[in-house]
Amino acid sequence: MSSRSSERKSGRFVLPGERLGVIEEFIPDAGTYVKDGVIYSKVVGRALLDLLNKRVSVYSLVHVARVPKVGSIVLGQVSNVQTQNAGVRIFKIGKMLLSGFFTGILHISDVQLRYVESMFDVCKPGDIIRAEVISEKNRVYHLSTKDKDLGVVYAFCSRCGHMLELRRQMMHCPRCGKIEKRKTALDYGKGII
Amino acid sequence: MSQKLEKLIDKKGLRLDGRKPDELRPIKIEVGALSNADGSAYIQQGKNKILAAVYGPKELHPKHLALPDRMVLRCRYHMAPFSVQERKSPAPSRREIELSKVIRESLEPSIFIEYYPRTSIDLFIEVLQADGGTRCASITAASLALADAGIPMRDLVAACAAGKVDGTIVLDLMDTEDKVGTADVPVALMPNLNAITLLQMDGILTLEEFEKAVNLALEGCRKIYTMQKEALKAKYIAVKEVEE
Repeated sequence: MSSRSSERKSGRFVLPGERLGVIEEFIPDAGTYVKDGVIYSKVVGRALLDLLNKRVSVYSLVHVARVPKVGSIVLGQVSNVQTQNAGVRIFKIGKMLLSGFFTGILHISDVQLRYVESMFDVCKPGDIIRAEVISEKNRVYHLSTKDKDLGVVYAFCSRCGHMLELRRQMMHCPRCGKIEKRKTALDYGKGII
Repeated sequence: MSQKLEKLIDKKGLRLDGRKPDELRPIKIEVGALSNADGSAYIQQGKNKILAAVYGPKELHPKHLALPDRMVLRCRYHMAPFSVQERKSPAPSRREIELSKVIRESLEPSIFIEYYPRTSIDLFIEVLQADGGTRCASITAASLALADAGIPMRDLVAACAAGKVDGTIVLDLMDTEDKVGTADVPVALMPNLNAITLLQMDGILTLEEFEKAVNLALEGCRKIYTMQKEALKAKYIAVKEVEE
């Protein structure tokens, strides 16, 4: 059957719902799902048939829709700060910008390894922060900035709103001269949002 | 509809716009028509012009509406004030609210809604120009927009209507046929799984006629599916070549 032989070709363009094979011949991998013993694609992409390991997967041509997962690096804006917690509006997961946002919480115990006096020395509302998702228990994304390249990437003066500059571990405002504290990431002020 | 209507089907068996009874209107589909949406599609089916846009998955606000085990698909079908002959009020009418629900329910079985618990997907359907059969064209476009947004799906959904006009069973009714004709049967189909996700009937048909209409509509859905396929192919294969 001619349709059968075309099914066998790797790199074939497939749509959601397109038949890729049966579970007796392949192990279904990423981008596929199984219904009644038949393997179908679930995204728009190219079918990859690994005949050696008997695996079938679909390499997606679309940006697959994503939500924060444990371990993902996210970028967000600090929305409110209390002494123990800071609320973060996540707008970017990995490299993908979201059309909406997710809310995360950064607790003072997850800021860095050594003791932190107050959350106000870590970030202030409006700052852009890079963090890792460490848990999604109780329907909340818990964040951590314990790594060197995690923390505030852009900070703004709490008096005049100007962007702060990093000088000798402290944040200086070039406009009004205020000095503040932050837990900065290694690439503070250099990264692209 | 004050003036005397001429026959909807002429002596040669052709319809008002010269189509055969089992012929679809000319269809043009474009995937990714909007750059600000996560996924989008535009469809022209005869004189229908419809845009569909998808945003999400994103956090659902207010949070008490979120479901712990699955995401919420929110659908808004809306007709532009200039989409019909006489200005339509832009406020959502009874009919639009019902169609939003109908479209949502016909697309929900095709999506893996359990993959993104506590989130929502917003689906906006804007009818720019209407000429009968907008619910079917909306479903066709919305399904493509969802696929374009990268949402995992069981299958695409293609939709098409059939009906009875002047005693003949015809495919893909346009506005006049819908209003003057005896019956209208919109059907939505997941072609690979061979599952119907929407089946409505408006008007009077005998059992035999109904069966004939449904089969004709299914045939139309399969034809539309091949066009959906071409539209997605056209976008993604073209994009791939530009990147290389």
